[in-house]
Order: sequence, then structure tokens, then C-alpha cells
Amino acid sequence: MITLTNLSKIFRTELIETHALREVNLQVNEGEFAALTGPSGSGKSTLLNILGTLENFDSGDYLLDGKSVKGLSDAALSKLRNEKIGFIFQSFNLIKDFSIFDNIELPLRYRGLKASDRKQRIDQALELVGLHARRDYLPGQLSGGQQQRVAIARAIAGEPRILLADEPTGNLDSLMARQVMELLEQINQRGCTILMVTHDPEQARRAGRHIQIVDGQLHDSTLYQPLSQPLHQPLAAVQGA
Amino acid sequence: MSLTLLFKSLLQRKVITILLLIQLMLTLALVSNSILLSQQAYTLSNQPTGLQLETTLAIELKPTDENLIVHPALGELIQRQLAELRKINGVRYAAFTNQTPLMFGGMNGDVFVPDHAETSSVDAVPYNYAEAGLFDALQMTLLHGRWLSAEDKNTDNVVLTEKLANRLFGQSHLALGQQISAGTVVGVVADMMYQRFASDQYYGLFFNRDLSRADYGYRLILQVESQAVAAVRQQINQSLRQVEPEIDIQHIVSLRQLHRDVFEQERGLAILLSVLSALMLLVAMISAYSHALFHGVQQQNEIGIKRALGASKRRILLEVLSESWLTTGIGVTLGLLASFLLQQQLATVISLPALPLWLPFAGALMLLFCVTAATWYPAAIATRVSPATATKAL
Amino acid sequence: MDNLLHVFALAIRNIKRAPLPYLLTVLILSLGLGMFFSNATLYYWLNHDPLPHKSQTLFYPQINATLQPCDSCTEPLRVLSYQDVQKLSSSGIPSAQAAMFQSAGYARLPENTRQSPTPVALRITQRDFFTLFDVPFLHGERWADNSARRELILSKASAERFFGRTNVVGEALQLGNELYTITGVLDDWTMLPRLYDVANGLNSAQSADIYLPWETAYDLGIKSNTTTMSRDSRNYSDNFAVNGREGDFFQAQFWVQLDTADQVSAYRQFMQQLVQSEKEAGRHPRPEGNRLTNILDITEHFNARNRQLDAFALVSLLFLLVCLFNASHLSLNRYLASQYEFGLRRALGASRGQLQQLILADVAVNAAVALLLSLTVAMVAMALINHLLPATRNLTSWSPAMLFAMAATALAASYIVSLYPAIRASFGSLNRQLK
Ligand SMILES: Nc1ncnc2c1ncn2[C@@H]1O[C@H](COP(=O)(O)OP(=O)(O)O)[C@@H](O)[C@H]1O
Ligand SMILES: [Mg+2]
Repeated sequence: MITLTNLSKIFRTELIETHALREVNLQVNEGEFAALTGPSGSGKSTLLNILGTLENFDSGDYLLDGKSVKGLSDAALSKLRNEKIGFIFQSFNLIKDFSIFDNIELPLRYRGLKASDRKQRIDQALELVGLHARRDYLPGQLSGGQQQRVAIARAIAGEPRILLADEPTGNLDSLMARQVMELLEQINQRGCTILMVTHDPEQARRAGRHIQIVDGQLHDSTLYQPLSQPLHQPLAAVQGA
Repeated sequence: MSLTLLFKSLLQRKVITILLLIQLMLTLALVSNSILLSQQAYTLSNQPTGLQLETTLAIELKPTDENLIVHPALGELIQRQLAELRKINGVRYAAFTNQTPLMFGGMNGDVFVPDHAETSSVDAVPYNYAEAGLFDALQMTLLHGRWLSAEDKNTDNVVLTEKLANRLFGQSHLALGQQISAGTVVGVVADMMYQRFASDQYYGLFFNRDLSRADYGYRLILQVESQAVAAVRQQINQSLRQVEPEIDIQHIVSLRQLHRDVFEQERGLAILLSVLSALMLLVAMISAYSHALFHGVQQQNEIGIKRALGASKRRILLEVLSESWLTTGIGVTLGLLASFLLQQQLATVISLPALPLWLPFAGALMLLFCVTAATWYPAAIATRVSPATATKAL
Repeated sequence: MDNLLHVFALAIRNIKRAPLPYLLTVLILSLGLGMFFSNATLYYWLNHDPLPHKSQTLFYPQINATLQPCDSCTEPLRVLSYQDVQKLSSSGIPSAQAAMFQSAGYARLPENTRQSPTPVALRITQRDFFTLFDVPFLHGERWADNSARRELILSKASAERFFGRTNVVGEALQLGNELYTITGVLDDWTMLPRLYDVANGLNSAQSADIYLPWETAYDLGIKSNTTTMSRDSRNYSDNFAVNGREGDFFQAQFWVQLDTADQVSAYRQFMQQLVQSEKEAGRHPRPEGNRLTNILDITEHFNARNRQLDAFALVSLLFLLVCLFNASHLSLNRYLASQYEFGLRRALGASRGQLQQLILADVAVNAAVALLLSLTVAMVAMALINHLLPATRNLTSWSPAMLFAMAATALAASYIVSLYPAIRASFGSLNRQLK
């Protein structure tokens, strides 16, 4: 579902040019759980941002579901992000002034769903991450692990087909990290493609696929095993598991 | 963004929001009231005058030699001066009078119909002592009877303005031949704006009389070809000095200038308030601008998150704008009330008409427009924040 | 000292770091203060007490003594006739009293007949005028009594204009066709507002050039060039010395000085008795309308307040309010932007007191800049007001006390504007900002 061909990204500032990604080729199929590792500054976040269309690239191409994202308008890209992609950030990035409920509701609003639909989906997502009781709390009133679970709920409430997670456990202690990891695995099992940046070798091992980046270049891809059937299923099914 | 969320975020910033609301409220109140005042000043100064403002010149002068200040030397001096002025190219008519239309102050007296002294008495009516030529010099219009002629000289025959004739006799043509306290009415002329602060600005009485003294000076009125006004003005001084150097020429003005002076206070206040309103709008714009700019910076992270969650730039722009529309909307609603309150307060100090409903609404639209214009640029900049950078971990 | 310098250096660095929001804040503050200052100046000069030590003793008496009968005319005329003045002067109660009016004439040096004469503003008055209003003499003295005499008192500026020097007592000056001796020269003197001439709405006009005895003016037929009213059919262009004195010709203001409450009530009583006896003599056909108005109430009494300026003052006060709200809104933004830094300082051990010092330094710098800017704005605004409302032209000077008051206002305003934001920024919860 994701195809990168010869993709390069250069950051230009007045002083220096940084080749964050060099001629990257990558193929990710539906339902994969891929872990991205690499030293700090190697371009992991950049790659994830490009995959999430948060950032554009300088050369090469990026096909999402067979269609190039090049030349898409801001509105089209936003729609694409909203419908197909979910983000999980290292620093959670919840909106401080919004309640948990309002935070999760935001992408659903952008999609223009009816209030009753939104409510149903938020309830399901909160149920999944186990924070239903805290729906009216403000993010500041939750622990880091809880905040990250809210962020996950927000990312999956829109039932995206790809989840991009940039060091989702980077700010968490190991117990919390394990909970989050389990949650992600659960989501993946229901068919959602996940790309996750991590520094934890254990986590990388648990992912079905391990991609390493060094100095902007994809060095090593574990063999990818095609799955026998398309796995994307509605959230309700995940929950039922 | 939804209204509830907008309200929530407003409530979160209580103090800033309240400050903003009060400010918008006062601004609208002030803007609508200064439009009201300007409108009033405009209406006042656009009342019909019955005068040729551009082509009529008034000269106010006084002999500095006391021998020239009394009749008959005075009358003889005036005639020589008028003869000289008539020689100037472009001067169509010239006449003397004891007072100029539109000029503050002058000789006023009361008038009544002797048979109905109690009911018909009108006080502070301008008494004009002039000559027959004043009719042409002021380009008057005769409505009934006749204008003053040579045989009316130093008699009590009098011509009234239409409004005064109406006031005294109900219908202006009924005045003809009637006896009033000032004399016998021989004619009625169309209204001219005489003294604003007399009992009515269109009242006036005209006699054909010599001036016996000129303690308060006297006036020469010139009717001039329209293209020659400036040139004539320049020559007046010299012409008059040539006739008699012992005079003090106090003013040479067009009636246009006098007309402007008559409404100077209203005009001045209207302009001042308009300047102040403009400043207030400017202040409101600066405030909206810097508010949007500041929040653009403050909310970079928030905007970045929203962008990552799929909000387009347009949507973010709309969110920022709708926040400022909401505050402006509330402020303006309060401002509608404040407009009427301020109008009441001002009306206790100066004369001010009632505030028509459309006016504060028009002001509100203007304010909304200004605020939107000022918010637009910083809001557009805020949407340009890179979601990748904004969502980065610290 | 070192600490103080540090604190100010920080305040200035703060400005340099974000000059635009700072400039906007100060600009808005200055606009508000400037408009306010310009109005306050005009308002002050129009409304302040020009003779604080004796204003409560100066009164303007009026009686409704017009000879024309009119039952509904209860309000006396604003100006008095010669007869009114004579009668009201006869009480012997006031410690000073003077009648007066304004006129105009042409003056020249007697030997200078070739040159055309100079227009001069005249005040026709009696000897007590100079005591009533504390008019200072530079040379010579006031007239010996109130009788007619060909003696003039000059303002300092006129003495310089006609003679090129000030000590001209004993010199001759020609006014109209008459020759006068100069018996006094005044020192610089302006009374603002000119409350003694409010009856004519001239409360902000210039003082007169030449002062002329009251009786002399009647002898020579010199009349007021402001409000004159006649209520009978005499010909006042003819034989004014008799007609003006005997007839119903109103043109004078009259002021009395009543030092004590007893004197005031005695004078009131005198007026009542006077009107009573006039009524008995058939010379007071109108209803009694005695008025004794204190000089501080005279503007209101003659309905001579400049309403336009009042309205503008009200509005400019609102404008100041708006600007204060606005500036505090902006400075709240500014402080919130540096909230992080505040939090950091506190985390590094700065006490609240030390932070307050920082804030006060900021306020002081703000106030200084705002004062300078607002004085500029005020000057521009006053020029505009003077241009649009020429009656305000003499009301624009600033005394040191006024400047001091303005500086204090600027300081207070910038303190108010920074107060809440500073508290918010420095006392906000620490952990929230540093999290
Ligand atoms: N907005 C940017 N401007 C300039 N350089 C950037 C920017 N973002 C990232 N870089 C540079 O690109 C390289 C890759 O960064 P990043 O993808 O964040 O690394 P990481 O693998 O640690 O996530 C780094 O050298 C970083 O300095
Ligand atoms: Mg990274």
C-alpha cells in the first residue's frame, strides 16, 4: 500500500544542507507492523512525516494505494491524512485545553461525521484504550501512559489504515511502554498497518518487520512475508476480539 | 470548529476575552455616535441658505477716523466706496448693509403685530438697514408685493422674509400692507439664512435706511461673476484704500466661508469624533492583529496537531477567523446597547438626534470588516506552520 | 545600584527581543493618553479656578429692571444698564465693585498722524476692576476714583508696541479723536478662563490692550462691541452721554466682592430692598428676578459651557479606557510569551520580590516612552482641536504641575496595564510552565 521510490529529502537552511533521506526505496504492504530503528538524527522522523504527508520531499516518488501524493492540493492531502492515516507522537501532542473527549473528537469533526457517529466511535476508542471513565478529564490530569493511550484512541477513532507512531513509548516507563505496545499489536492484528519508530530492540523484534535507517539510507529490510488475506476490518471487530 | 468548543476556548481565556469585549463594545458605541454627529453636522450645514454662497463676498469695515463714523460723512464715504468697487471687473452688484447674512451677532430686535402684541411677538429678529441695491447684491427672490425703492428711503416701509411673514400673519401674502411694530410691510422675499442663533435662522427684516453711525462698522456686499471671485477679492483692499485710507478693513470673506464658520462647532466636533473613531478602529485592528499573531505563535503546537489530524489550511484559517468573529460578534452586540447608552449621555451635553437602528448595525459591520481584515494576515501565517516541526517532541 | 542597572538592562533587552508587540502596546497606550491629555488640558483651562484664594468672594448681581412690562419675563437680562449699575453700586457693602464692558477702538501716538492707527481691544471699567481680579501693575497705578477722566491704563504688550518700552506713565496716547494720558501699565496678566466676561461667551479670549474709565466711555459714546440691548425707543446713536446713562440700554457686566457670608446676605437684602423701592416708584414692572451668582457658577448660569468640548472630553475618556484595555490585553500577551522565562527564573531561585523588581523596571521604561509619545500625540491633537474649534486657541499651555500630573498618569496607566499580566506571568503555577 505504501511505495517509495528513490525518495530524497534535503533540509536547506542558510548555513547547511542536510540530506535527511537519500534515495530511499520502500514497499509496505497492508497489515504490516514495521519497526523503524536507527541512531538519532538518521532521518526516522523525517521518513515518518513524509509518509504521513506532513512534510514534502525533494525527489523520487511516494505512492499511497498506488496513487502518487505529489502535486496534491493542501485540501486533498488534509483529507487523505484525516481518512487514511493516524499519528502517534512521542510527546503525545494532545491539545491541552480540550478534554479527552474533545481531543478524540477533533479528527472526526474534520471528517464531517454526525455527532451521534462521533460519539459512538469515541466511546469505542476509549473503551479500547481503557480510559472511558476519564473522558471529561483534561490531558494535564492524566499520567504520561494514559495520555499516550488517549493519543492512540484519537489516532484510531477515525479507523485509519495506516498508523504512524514516532517513538510512542519514548516518554514512558517500561510498564507503560509494554501496555502501549500491546495495544498497538492488538490494533495491528485487526488489520491496521503500523510503522513505528523505536529505540527498543525488544519492541523491534516484536514487530513483524524491522527497518533500519542510518544516515538517511535504508540499510536493512527484513524479508517481508505477504499476508494471505486483506486484513482491514472495522474497529468493532477489533474490539470484539 | 464547533461553537461550543469556541466558547470553551473563550472561557479559558476569560480576562483577555473580557478586555476584548469591553473594547469592542466601547468602540462600536463611539463609532456609531460619531457617525450620528457627523450626519447631524452634515444635515445642518446642508440646509438651504437661499444665498449664493460662492459668488457673494462680504466686506466688514470701519472708519478709523471718528469724523467718518457718523452720518452724513459716513453715507458719502460708503457711496464712494461702492462706486469704486463696482468698477472692478467681475463685480455685478454692490450694496451696503448694517449686517451680513450668516454672521454671528448684529442688530436684532423684536417684532409684533400691534393688534396682537402678546400672541405675535417674535424677539431677536435681524434688522437690516440697507439700500435698494441689496436685493441684487444678495440675489434675493421677490415673492409678494414689491422690493424697497428710492422712495422708501428712511421710511418705515419694510420687507419680510417669507418665514417671518408666515409666523406673523399665518400666510405670507397676507402680510402685504399690514402694519407691524417695525413699520408697514410692502413686500415678502424668499427665505435667506440670516442669523443662526436668532429666534429663527430664516427671519429677517429689511429697510431702506442710511446708517446714522458705524460704531460697529458696516458691511459691503458684492455679487461677483463666478469666474472672477478670486481676482475681485485681491483688488478690494486696494480699491477701498484708494477711496479712503482711514479705514480698517476687518474681513473680506465669501458667504461660503461664513457659512462654514456658522457650523464650525458642529463640524469641528464631528471631525474630531471621526478622527477618534478612526483611531479606535485602528486600535481595534491592532488589537485583533496582535491577538491573532500572538495566538498563532502560542498555538503553533495546537495548529500543528490539528494539521496532522487532517485539518486543511483553509479550515485552520476559518477556525482562527471564526474565533475573532465570535468575540467581535459578542462585543458588537454589547456595543449596540452601549451605542444607545452613549447617545443618551451625549444628548444630555449636546443636541443630538435619536440614534436610528440601522446606524449601529452599519457600524458593527464596519467593525467586523476591520477586525477580519486585521486578523487575516497573521491567521494566514499561522496556518503555514509546518505540522512536522510543530508536533516534534521538545 | 548594580541590581537596578541589571533590572533596567533586562527591561530594555525584553523590548529589543520583541519590538513589535512592545511598540504596539506603547503606541496604543500613548494614543489613549495623548488624546486624554489634550482634552484634559483644554478642560482644565476652561474649568479651573483662576483666583482660588478669592473666587468665593466674587459675585455677579442682576436685577430684572427692564422698563418694558412683561409678566412672563422672570429671568433678568445678562447685561446691565447704566442705571442698574448706579443702583447696585450704591449699597456700600462690597469691599470692591466694578462695572465693565468690552469695546474696540483705534489708537496711535499723537505725533504720528500720518500713519494709520492700530486696532486695539478696550475694556471699559472702573478702578476696582484691578483689585477684584488681582491685576498686577508694572508701573503707575489705577485711577484715583470712578469719575470721568482722560486717563488710560495699558497692558505691558501694548506699551511695548506703541512706545517700545514699558515705563510710559505720563505719556500721551490718542484713541479715536481723543487724547489720553497714561497713568498705569499692567504687568503680564491673563485670567483663564476669563470668567468676568462669560456673559458674552468670551471666556477664553485674550485680555484687553487698553483700559478706559467707565464714565469717560459714556461721555464719548463708546459702546460695547459685544452684547448690547435696548428696551426702549431712544436713539442711542445720538447724545449717548445722556441717552446711554438714562435709557434702557444694557451692555455692562458688574462684579462685586463680598468677603463674608454676612456681606453676602446683607447684599442680597439690599438688592431686595432696592427692587422693592423701585417697584413702589413704578420703575420695576417685571417680576422680581434678583440673582447673585458666584464667579465659579457663572459659566453654568449663563449657559456658556463649551458643550462640544464637554462631549469630546467624555468621549476621549472612553477612548483612554479602550486604549487601557487594549494595551493591557497586548501586554498580557507579551508577558505570557515570556512566561516560560519567568518560570525558569523562579526555578533558578528568583524570589517573587526580585521578579516584581523586573516588572517595575519594565513599567518605568514603558511609562517614560509612553509619556514622551503621548505628549507628542497630545500636541498634534491640540493643534487639530485648535484648528477645528478656534475658541480653544488660548487654552493649550502646560504648566510644570500639569506636566507632572501627566507623568504620574502615564506611570499609573502603564502600571495598571502591566499589573495583571505580570501577576499572571510571575505567579502562575510553576510546574505548568516548565512541564
Ligand atoms: N526542520 C528541519 N530543518 C532542518 N533540518 C532538519 C529539520 N528536521 C530534521 N532535520 C535534520 O534532518 C536530520 C534527520 O532528522 P530526524 O528525521 O528528526 O532524525 P531522527 O532519526 O532522530 O528522527 C537531522 O540531521 C536533523 O537535524
Ligand atoms: Mg525523531
